[in-house]
Amino acid sequence: MTESQVNLTTAATAIKPGRVGFSLHRVWIIGLNTFTESMRQKVFNILLIFALVAISSASFFTEFTFSEQLKFMKDFCLGAVSVFGTLIAIVGTAQLLPNELENRTIYTILAKPVRRLEFILGKYIGMALLLFISVLMMSLMLGAVLKIKEARMVMVAQQGVDQASTPDAREAAEGDLAQIRADTADLDIIKGIILIFIKLSLLAAITLLISTISTSMIFNVAVAFMVFFAGHLRSAATEAWAHHKIWLALLAILPDLGAFNVADDINLGNLIPWQHVGLVAADGLGRIVIILIATHLIFAKREI
Amino acid sequence: MRHKFLAILVLVLAAVLFSPLENRIQAERVWRKYGGARVSLPLREKLGQGTAVALLAGLRGVVADFLWIQNADYFVKDEWVPMYRNIELVTTLQPQSTTFWEQGAWHMGWNIGYSVSKDPKNENTAQGIRREREWHQKARDFLLRGIDNIPQQYDLYFALGWLYWTKLAKDCGENTDCQRAAYSKAAEYFGAAGEFPEAPTYIGREYARALEKCGRDRDAYEYWKTLWKADHKMTNQLWTEVERNIKRLEDALAIPEDKRVPRNKDDGSLQVPL
Amino acid sequence: MNAICTKNLTKKYALGWRQGRLLALDSLNLQVNDGEVYGLLGPNGSGKSTTLKLILGLISRTDGDAWVFDVPCDKVQSRLHVGFLPENPYFYKYLTGMETLEFYGRLCGMRGAPLQKRINELLELVGLTRARDRRLAGYSKGMLQRIGLAQAMIHDPKLLLLDEPTAGVDPIGSRDIRDMILRLKNMGKTVLLCSHLLEQVQEVCDRIGVLNLGKMILEGNMETLIRDQRRLTFTVQDLSDSARAQVEATVRAAGGQVLSVAHPQTTLESLFLDALKKDERGMGHHD
Repeated sequence: MTESQVNLTTAATAIKPGRVGFSLHRVWIIGLNTFTESMRQKVFNILLIFALVAISSASFFTEFTFSEQLKFMKDFCLGAVSVFGTLIAIVGTAQLLPNELENRTIYTILAKPVRRLEFILGKYIGMALLLFISVLMMSLMLGAVLKIKEARMVMVAQQGVDQASTPDAREAAEGDLAQIRADTADLDIIKGIILIFIKLSLLAAITLLISTISTSMIFNVAVAFMVFFAGHLRSAATEAWAHHKIWLALLAILPDLGAFNVADDINLGNLIPWQHVGLVAADGLGRIVIILIATHLIFAKREI
Repeated sequence: MRHKFLAILVLVLAAVLFSPLENRIQAERVWRKYGGARVSLPLREKLGQGTAVALLAGLRGVVADFLWIQNADYFVKDEWVPMYRNIELVTTLQPQSTTFWEQGAWHMGWNIGYSVSKDPKNENTAQGIRREREWHQKARDFLLRGIDNIPQQYDLYFALGWLYWTKLAKDCGENTDCQRAAYSKAAEYFGAAGEFPEAPTYIGREYARALEKCGRDRDAYEYWKTLWKADHKMTNQLWTEVERNIKRLEDALAIPEDKRVPRNKDDGSLQVPL
Repeated sequence: MNAICTKNLTKKYALGWRQGRLLALDSLNLQVNDGEVYGLLGPNGSGKSTTLKLILGLISRTDGDAWVFDVPCDKVQSRLHVGFLPENPYFYKYLTGMETLEFYGRLCGMRGAPLQKRINELLELVGLTRARDRRLAGYSKGMLQRIGLAQAMIHDPKLLLLDEPTAGVDPIGSRDIRDMILRLKNMGKTVLLCSHLLEQVQEVCDRIGVLNLGKMILEGNMETLIRDQRRLTFTVQDLSDSARAQVEATVRAAGGQVLSVAHPQTTLESLFLDALKKDERGMGHHD
């Protein structure tokens, strides 16, 4: 520190005296900070592994039919989006609050005129933003690799058309060509990606709720993964326990995560109407809101 | 503590609130046949631990693809028992995949059938033939289940018709009644496949041939005529083939001249409808 | 108006199932006047951190009340004019010094040119201008303490709560922070300081309070408390041995006692700082 005559400006704060209301701006500041922190922790390195998966799945399996190759590629890539996204959602969120406590940054933030609700929402928004960017980048990579794969397959299929010896063989080869174009241009895959993103956001909300109760990152991750697997088993368990009302009631607290996995059905060519996507999205978003309310209820009274 | 109870209450109330929506989503999933078989204990026992975990993580398509890729290996090594197990497993996981049913039936009806007929452990040729025919029956039952799952696409209908045409009819040997019944079934399934607007044109021609094979020459003639009346801008349709069969059947059925398809005066070819 | 006022402020922590409760703070009555530097002292576990957390609304009180500038502590607006430096802060490692202050400033509703100006001034004040674009992961302990002080002051608060502000800081930095506190006092700020370094507390605080096991056992004006009324210190120079003997005799004759006669000592800190000043290469500041 210098002994120079630094004159500090006084009353530089723009806070008006009186009641401090809820501020979306403060939520956004905290959210952006959370996102920046995660980004600089090289979370995006995981995308390099995804790129490897995408390229590998496009390069191998050339001994299979065109439909099979495209199915494998879309299944593996969307599966990777889901897996890596789940890791980011659960592990990334699980360490948010423990890190804040360990670094004591939570004291410095809550010592400012910042509401606890703003803090917890900000943390969540930051995580959701990270998930959004991650899913978007992986989807764009998938799209690019799919286009390259299409070009290669079209070349091979065109050879099949040109070299067909009978009209029936020609018709079958032309059918293959049309199928390749249809499969790669199928924008329905976007519906699958939207629901994957909502599922990941839901997992992040659940993990945040768990982390308001426990400060151990390992505990948070473990319980979140338990909920993840239980959520996938929910529909099977509901059938098995159909006659036990109490168990059913307890099960209903868990979200049905299986409902968000429509990507597989889209890759099979099943029609998933927007109306169905809307219902599942509404369920997911509704659950997220409720979980955030519950999180706030616990965090608001938590001793820091 | 009070706020923790309140939070739990909020979650429970939410569960109650969202139940109707989630029941509706679940009902739609069942009705639209999304997903595959439920993750049950018997299913988990058939899958390895790693694949069971992947399934629980929602990677149904990846698990099915992984098992299917194994089949390429089994095919090369003639390992039909694990291949058959995989086929059943994969179609249980993803019953909405036409490819899995079609290819699975092909393996069962053609590859596995042929392989067991040549098995050195067969006591005699007759046993080999009997075992092969059992696999043809299995493939048929398999495709019927496939059609139950995917009634909205033509592929499996055609595949079943082809199975009847090439394998099950031949399994009848010299029994003409059995043959006729088999070709009749082939015609039934070719006809069902041909109903789909996206079906390739050769399916229609196969249907007509199958009708003749099961003794329904008149029906076959009428059907060739409906093909002839279709849009002649369709380049995939073998018009020479359609014309040839119409002429042949008109002669075979002794159709009166005035009831036949009009000819061009100069070369006797059939007049193309306007 | 008191900057801080508590009445019977009590805090009991639940220890777990069937383990009862721990009385961390027992009916604390504390008043910190506007514009003074108050030292809150006590051994570990005496309730200092609990007091700070209660004032900041980080934990809830079991009984009693607390106000900051007449606003109850459980209200968010009570923190409008409070700046806090926690003990051993680490902050966000991946933000630069500049970004850290920007973050806290924006949280307080500051933005644009006024915020930038304030940031520049504070960085200059705490001596971190050259390290402004370095990430906090590369800051030393002393630098983290200084950026912590800067963030506490970003919104120009009337009251500063400093928890062990010189912990882990070298003597130079420690002196700078001490000077800073005195400067804040001259600007009319109120400072509540918790520290184990009693010498430093003695140099800056107007009043002190000593907590032990949750209770205030001693409180009052610094000068008054540390003055030993019964004893006098004369510091003389160039006195011969015979004159010295005469002085001692005079004291005894008047009924007094000569308790000790010795050469005064300088402090280790003065010796250290003087040696650094004399070093031609200048004083070390690794930023």
